[in-house]
Amino acid sequence: MSVLRPVDKLPELNRATVLLVGAEDALLQQLADSMLKEHCASELRVHLAKSLPLPSSVIRPRIDLIVFVINLHSKYSLQNVEESLHHVDASFFLGKVCFLTTGAGRESHCSIHRNTVANLAHTYRSPLLFCDLEVEDFRATMAQRLVRMLQICAGHVPGVSALNLLSLLRSSESPLLEEP
Amino acid sequence: MSANQQDLDPDSTTDMEVVIDTEEELIKECEEIWKDMEKCQNKLSLIGTETLTNSNAQLSLLIMQMKCLTAELSQWQKETPEITPLTEDVLITLGQEENYQWMPEVMFQKLRHDLEMVLSTIQSKNEKSKKDLSREQQWLDEQQQILESLNVLHSELKNQVVTFSESRIFNELKAKILSVQEFKEKLLVSLGEFLEDHFPLPDGNVKKKQKNIQQSTVQLITLHEMIMILINRMFDVPHDPYVKISDSFWPPYIELLLRNGIALRHPEDPTRIRLEAFHQ
Repeated sequence: MSVLRPVDKLPELNRATVLLVGAEDALLQQLADSMLKEHCASELRVHLAKSLPLPSSVIRPRIDLIVFVINLHSKYSLQNVEESLHHVDASFFLGKVCFLTTGAGRESHCSIHRNTVANLAHTYRSPLLFCDLEVEDFRATMAQRLVRMLQICAGHVPGVSALNLLSLLRSSESPLLEEP
Repeated sequence: MSANQQDLDPDSTTDMEVVIDTEEELIKECEEIWKDMEKCQNKLSLIGTETLTNSNAQLSLLIMQMKCLTAELSQWQKETPEITPLTEDVLITLGQEENYQWMPEVMFQKLRHDLEMVLSTIQSKNEKSKKDLSREQQWLDEQQQILESLNVLHSELKNQVVTFSESRIFNELKAKILSVQEFKEKLLVSLGEFLEDHFPLPDGNVKKKQKNIQQSTVQLITLHEMIMILINRMFDVPHDPYVKISDSFWPPYIELLLRNGIALRHPEDPTRIRLEAFHQ
């Protein structure tokens, strides 16, 4: 079982790689397309995976950012992500992991409560983003955000590190989610 | 301990148009940084992996984050920020990179460039305005000159026309009147001569039968005189041009005038005659 490590390889010049992990192929594909459409100074690479661990037969570049996509409509997607988390090295969680939740718009179809996901993100000290990936405009905006995050995680923005970004994002999240 | 390599990323953008030595310097620096990175990478690969479970995640991550932030802080405090010499060419190139827009040097460079452009635009506009102004001024002067000379001409002509035409018309009329009067005199004189020649008054042929005929001893007037009386009456009293036949009119001559249509009798009074209105 191979574990994803953040600094297992040297970075390639001007390149930023993001790994999208999620059970729903269609959503991941759409998000990937939106991200690639974004205007960005660095070269983007988007990898898609249903779950971790990744097959070790493929040679892949250093991954700068992992985005776990959870669909609130399906319990399976949450389970999938929770299992994949075990195959990620701890040092990834210093700002290079992010949770993206979709499907919160249609309350009636949600089988997972928002708080569940919020707790998960809180446990792993990573930012949680909400977006309805099926709506094109929201998806485009989220893609823009992710591209900016990716640029910072890949170190292409001078003066800001992934950890700095994490600290910045953390302050906007309320600690109300903690169970006493 | 994961050292943050992000801060030392090489900024080796390939299309820099700089002086050769700056380029070489930058390349040298990049090579050095890359070597440092390789060293760090080797060290890192020796560190083992560590995965998390839901129970121990929070605590271990918090501890790790604290350590890393502390390390980053000490790194920032140690390092001097500026490596590259900021020449104008470097600044121009950096200005096009979106990541460097926050640097004050880049912003000042842009500002200076914009201000220079504005200055040159305004200067050229200024030149143009000056030229336009002088041209318009010239035109204005010319127009004013023309206006002045036209005014002078106008006033001269005005005076001339007024005084000239009055006296002229006056003189013309006078001359006309005089000539017409002369003509009239001439006509009357020639009429008189003609009448004297061809229609003389009877001489003393009234020797015979003087006792029977009650002839008035009134002096007969010539045909000329009769005609003159008729003409004058015609023009003096146009509404009543009739002249009473007096004894001084020689009857044959009256008949002559009447028969030739020169005189007309009054329709109700046979003793009155008038001149035919030839002029109406």
